[in-house]
Amino acid sequence: MKLLTMLACVLPVAACTQDKQASEDTEALRNPPRVYTVNYPLAYFAERIAGESVQVVFPAPPDVDPAFWSPDAETIADYQQAELVLLNGAGYAGWLQRATLSRSRLVDTSAALADSLIPVDDTATHSHGPGGDHSHKDMAFTSWLDMDIAAGQARAVFDSLVRLRPENEPGYRERLHELENDLGELDTRLKVVAERIGDQPLVFSHPVYQYLARGYGLNGRSVHWEPHDVPGNDQWRELSDALATHAAAWMIWEDEPLPDTVSRLEGMGVESLVFRPCGNRPVEGSLVSVMLENVMALERAFPAAASIEPAEM
Amino acid sequence: MRDVLYLAWRYLVYHRLKTAILVTSIMLIIYLPIGLNVVVEQSAVHLTARAAATPLLIGTKGSPLELALNSLYFSSEHPELIDYSEATMVADSGLADAIPLYVRFRSRTHPIVGTSLDYFSFHNLSFASGRPMALLGECVVGANVAESLGVKPGDAVVSSSETVFDLAGVYPLKMKVAGVLARAFTPDDDAIFVDVKTAWIIEGLGHGHQDLARPEAASGVLSRADENIVANASVVQYNEITEDNLDSFHFHGDLAGYPLTAVLAVPRDEKSAVILRGRYTDDSSTSQIVRPVTVIDELLDTILTIQQFIVAAVIIVGLATIATAALVFMLSLRLRRREIDTMVKIGGSRPRVASMLLAEVVIVVILSSSLAAVLTLVTWRFGPGVIEGFVLT
Amino acid sequence: MIRIGDLLFSYDEGDFSLEIPQLNVAHGETVAIVGPSGSGKTTLLNMIAGTATPHSGQVTTNGYAISELHDAARRDFRIANIGLVFQEFELLEYLNVLDNILLPYRINRTLHLDTSVRERAEAIAERVGIGDKLARYANQLSQGEKQRVAVIRALVVQPPLLLADEPTGNLDPLNKERVLDILLQYATDNAATLVTVTHDHDILHRFQRVIDFKDFYAYGAGQRPENVAGPT
Repeated sequence: MKLLTMLACVLPVAACTQDKQASEDTEALRNPPRVYTVNYPLAYFAERIAGESVQVVFPAPPDVDPAFWSPDAETIADYQQAELVLLNGAGYAGWLQRATLSRSRLVDTSAALADSLIPVDDTATHSHGPGGDHSHKDMAFTSWLDMDIAAGQARAVFDSLVRLRPENEPGYRERLHELENDLGELDTRLKVVAERIGDQPLVFSHPVYQYLARGYGLNGRSVHWEPHDVPGNDQWRELSDALATHAAAWMIWEDEPLPDTVSRLEGMGVESLVFRPCGNRPVEGSLVSVMLENVMALERAFPAAASIEPAEM
Repeated sequence: MRDVLYLAWRYLVYHRLKTAILVTSIMLIIYLPIGLNVVVEQSAVHLTARAAATPLLIGTKGSPLELALNSLYFSSEHPELIDYSEATMVADSGLADAIPLYVRFRSRTHPIVGTSLDYFSFHNLSFASGRPMALLGECVVGANVAESLGVKPGDAVVSSSETVFDLAGVYPLKMKVAGVLARAFTPDDDAIFVDVKTAWIIEGLGHGHQDLARPEAASGVLSRADENIVANASVVQYNEITEDNLDSFHFHGDLAGYPLTAVLAVPRDEKSAVILRGRYTDDSSTSQIVRPVTVIDELLDTILTIQQFIVAAVIIVGLATIATAALVFMLSLRLRRREIDTMVKIGGSRPRVASMLLAEVVIVVILSSSLAAVLTLVTWRFGPGVIEGFVLT
Repeated sequence: MIRIGDLLFSYDEGDFSLEIPQLNVAHGETVAIVGPSGSGKTTLLNMIAGTATPHSGQVTTNGYAISELHDAARRDFRIANIGLVFQEFELLEYLNVLDNILLPYRINRTLHLDTSVRERAEAIAERVGIGDKLARYANQLSQGEKQRVAVIRALVVQPPLLLADEPTGNLDPLNKERVLDILLQYATDNAATLVTVTHDHDILHRFQRVIDFKDFYAYGAGQRPENVAGPT
């Protein structure tokens, strides 16, 4: 009798607790927490790891380079409302210096990898007066092109998502492993093709491949060319001067270059291949599929001695 | 009764100066201890509430009271500065959230509080209109500021210049109002809030100017060495942040060394608070951590002691005043001997004549008490604000 | 109206004493009392009014043995039945003319102040030429005007007996006559009794009877009364 009485008291409470949890879960499903990012790779990592349990938002317009995008005040206000804001670190998104965001909601995904970040030597700084402080040298910011660093950033995204939705940790961990596997396979193939490339000189059309070059031992030198702009005479001259001491046979582009530019380059003995950094959301595909295409483009340019084609992922 | 009061009233009105002096003296004797008590009580409640809502403050070693007054009430006297790295250290420790405070500049009489977004959520401040600041140069104003300056979202406020003749001094920055806070009945109503980076721009630690690498900025270039361009003093700097020049704004040096007046630490729990406070017990540390409620309690104890002395003094003066008033009344009776005799002679009843004389006293006391009550009400309504304004500016 | 018999009065200090074997004043009679200073004329008025009581003897005023009433009763009687006029006017400086006139109604609940009283006061004031000065204060009036106010104060309660102590003592000849006119006219119109103490022999002819105080016995050391006067 006593047991029945106890059950009669406990069961309604248990039912209520369960109901409360259920309604909280339903509420969370209906209004998932918003996670804003400053570039597409981080948005991709968050989507892969958290799925629909969070609402991932990357609000930059599709036709801009997010590294140089400046959101307006209203967009920044939207960032302020997010429960979590994922930052790339390495000085990516200079607008952060001029915006007001709640520090407690920001996560620098490369903070733990600070030692791996690459300072950039070719930017001009300025100071005021002979003894004045200098403005900061920039850091290279396309950190995700080194798959090791990308995996590290993905882990940082995982940690922050678990802090946000701790009850989902098992699922998030499983999906993180899947993502790490994908990144690992890309890393393996990049290392293989990089070994084939060896120390052959390469030209990078834009200084955004520092992490790719360092991570995979590529001997590259950068110029400042835009794929959709016709290079000026100064730029051709700069390239010629570079080729004089750095006889590259390939130029690596961020996007498909103009046919005329490709032709002229071929006339100089330089072939073109596209390796998209994928800082913004691709028209089609995903970060991994775009990286795979990038790897395959390298593999085509530097084929293996054997004629066996590598399997697609 | 009506006739008695009428005659008494006519006497008081005719001798209005004497009546005014008596009424004022007695009113002050009644009002002073009560009014003082009201002010102290209300101020205590006010001060304590504000202090109790703020767990911990970190600042440079020095006067805890100055630190608390500047951080909680935005007093014009600010403590010695600490580095921004102090806020970073607290946040990175995982023991507390760190809200930076840089309360140094003013726009006319309104304090400009450099802080972060977390300040608003911490103090449960909501917005009557607009939104929080999003970009450098934007600000959020308290309800009283909006009223007194007549501003709304989209308008602008200008920081006050610290020096007029010092060419290296702080120059005014025009700031766009992004939002107006709902009335909070706290010092936040009188403040202008900006991102701490905007406060640094007001100070001149951050600025925007022409791109020195561009040809049109050549007149602002002093020299070029390696990859560094040294600007001269004639480079044009912007005193307003707009959409067009926003991207040019930057900071020189390491932000970790930039100044704050305090860090508001919100510990995760009691244990974290204890651990955090323990980190500042080292005598060699240049920083201190204070519990505002402790500081304010000590201040209130001092105020209470002063109040007690004042009340004792007022009581003594009051007794003297009453004795003097009684003497004045007795002398007055002597001077009015003839008037009283006349009334008696023509048939006035003793009780009536006595009542009339007593009624004069009663009316004076009632008038004094009423005025004291009105003053007490006014004090209750406005006193704490006046005192705070006097103490904090 | 007034009967005094075997009255003996003296002050506790000093040598002064007053002895009046008999004094009668009829209803409606106008009497002037003259005599040397210090002879007790004012004291007599005080005993008639009841503001002083004799050591022995009886004072009857308007049928009341006023010397035997207690203080409160004497005041109540006095305020309704006796109008007093003083040499120094004795107006209250902090009341205006109208309030001074209406003063008796405010200082004893025996009298009730209402609209008819106010109208009577205003009418009398109009009649004696100060109707336009009712809002003024005593320090804004001339001597003659002040005494007229004092007289109206005495008349407003419509007393059957008027006692005036040197009412014209501080007035110029014109105002002297005016004030006397008011008092005597009232006495005539209302069949009221008027007893006036005066030093002014120029006005004695206006009274029906003149009492010389030297007819009454005033003790110094060893003096005795020689004569007694007064109607029965």
